[in-house]
Amino acid sequence: MGDSQYSFSLTTFSPSGKLVQIEHALTAVGSGQTSLGIKAANGVVIATEKKLPSILVDETSVQKIQSLTPNIGVVYSGMGPDFRVLVRKSRKQAEQYHRLYKEPIPVTQLVRETATVMQEFTQSGGVRPFGVSLLVAGFDDKGPQLYQVDPSGSYFSWKASAMGKNVSNAKTFLEKRYTDDMELDDAVHTAILTLKEGFEGQISSKNIEIGIIGADKKFRVLTPGEIDDYLAEVE
Amino acid sequence: MSRGSGAGYDRHITIFSPEGRLFQVEYAFKAVKSASITSIGVRGKDAVCVVTQKKVPDKLLDQTSVTHLFPITQYLGLVATGLTADARSLVQQARNEAAEFRFRYGYEMPVDVLARWIADKSQVYTQHAYMRPLGVIAMVLGIDEEKGPQLYKCDPAGHFYGHKATSAGLKEQEAINFLEKKMKNDPAFSYDETVRTAISALQSVLQEDFKATEIEVGVLRSDDRVFQALSTEEIDEHLTAISERD
Repeated sequence: MGDSQYSFSLTTFSPSGKLVQIEHALTAVGSGQTSLGIKAANGVVIATEKKLPSILVDETSVQKIQSLTPNIGVVYSGMGPDFRVLVRKSRKQAEQYHRLYKEPIPVTQLVRETATVMQEFTQSGGVRPFGVSLLVAGFDDKGPQLYQVDPSGSYFSWKASAMGKNVSNAKTFLEKRYTDDMELDDAVHTAILTLKEGFEGQISSKNIEIGIIGADKKFRVLTPGEIDDYLAEVE
Repeated sequence: MSRGSGAGYDRHITIFSPEGRLFQVEYAFKAVKSASITSIGVRGKDAVCVVTQKKVPDKLLDQTSVTHLFPITQYLGLVATGLTADARSLVQQARNEAAEFRFRYGYEMPVDVLARWIADKSQVYTQHAYMRPLGVIAMVLGIDEEKGPQLYKCDPAGHFYGHKATSAGLKEQEAINFLEKKMKNDPAFSYDETVRTAISALQSVLQEDFKATEIEVGVLRSDDRVFQALSTEEIDEHLTAISERD
């Protein structure tokens, strides 16, 4: 990164010691669609709103939740195009790890490498920070894990977290509902209820996406049929 | 040192504004509208069609050289709405990329792969200060082997979606409103209906009846798969059918 004419960083300190470009990036995340993640005792669930700009958009052409490896999935809030770039870079890093060590990359390491990329874009010349926060859900030898990565490149492990427009209501709701011994199914129900809290309009399998990973260590996105079943159970 | 910390530079290069917006990207969208052209794309059951205005500002111009409809390969078409020079640059790169894909992998580049490539390139321009975003919205069309006719729209922000129908340019919003009503019940248009929906949408939104030389129409049919620009006679047939129908 860092292109010849712009060999100076665009993200610089303000007199009060803040990196304002990162703060603005966080504002961009905060105006994005709500997404959340919950770590259960035997798996992790991530979910997001999928509001499309028009009914003319073919919703099957859009998938906001992506898998980085067979056992790690990711969802975002913020700018979709920036997310695609990060997914591509992370997949490549996971594959390079696998080629070198002949084993799947541990979740913490993939998160750290992705976060490093995001940090580099806050310091390198001629680039702006990424306008996304990521929720990475994975299941490896250390069990189920959920990490949130911010545009600054800082990351933390969470039991449950939310991002985007409705973040404060969603987090309050999750704090009340979360228990350490939740099962994956309960977590999915809680995720749906949390999304429903701040949802504008009628929630359906066409305007949300849910991804889960259980003890089988296989991350997958639920089909609209499966989401319909969960929605019926929640009613 | 106030470079890049919101001291007015957020409007000149693609860095964040205090509200978390990218002004340069928003201005790129305005540049698309400044071309005063509207384009419409409609996807039917076994055909996909795009219609765009053909404005020739000067009688001395060679009309055949004025076009916004570009074949990328035999099987992929692209209509570029916005700044003509940016459009030509994009088309040239897309053609190169599609040809390399065919050479490298041994099969034709699918529509969604091309759309994603264009969108990813656009994203780079929104993140790196050294290049401005392109002032072009590209609508890519093709027949996918598994999914059938496909229509994708890629914008300066780096977004891309598949569409059942869409529009770009000056009267984008009015056209989308018109198309939403038409496509509400997921109709499965035949080839003729697809073309005529697209043309009549443009006519209704611009509130004028066209001559065949004032619009360009590009089509892709499932049974044929080759991207074709309709001739003036073929366009005339559709225009006549529409006026007789109304």
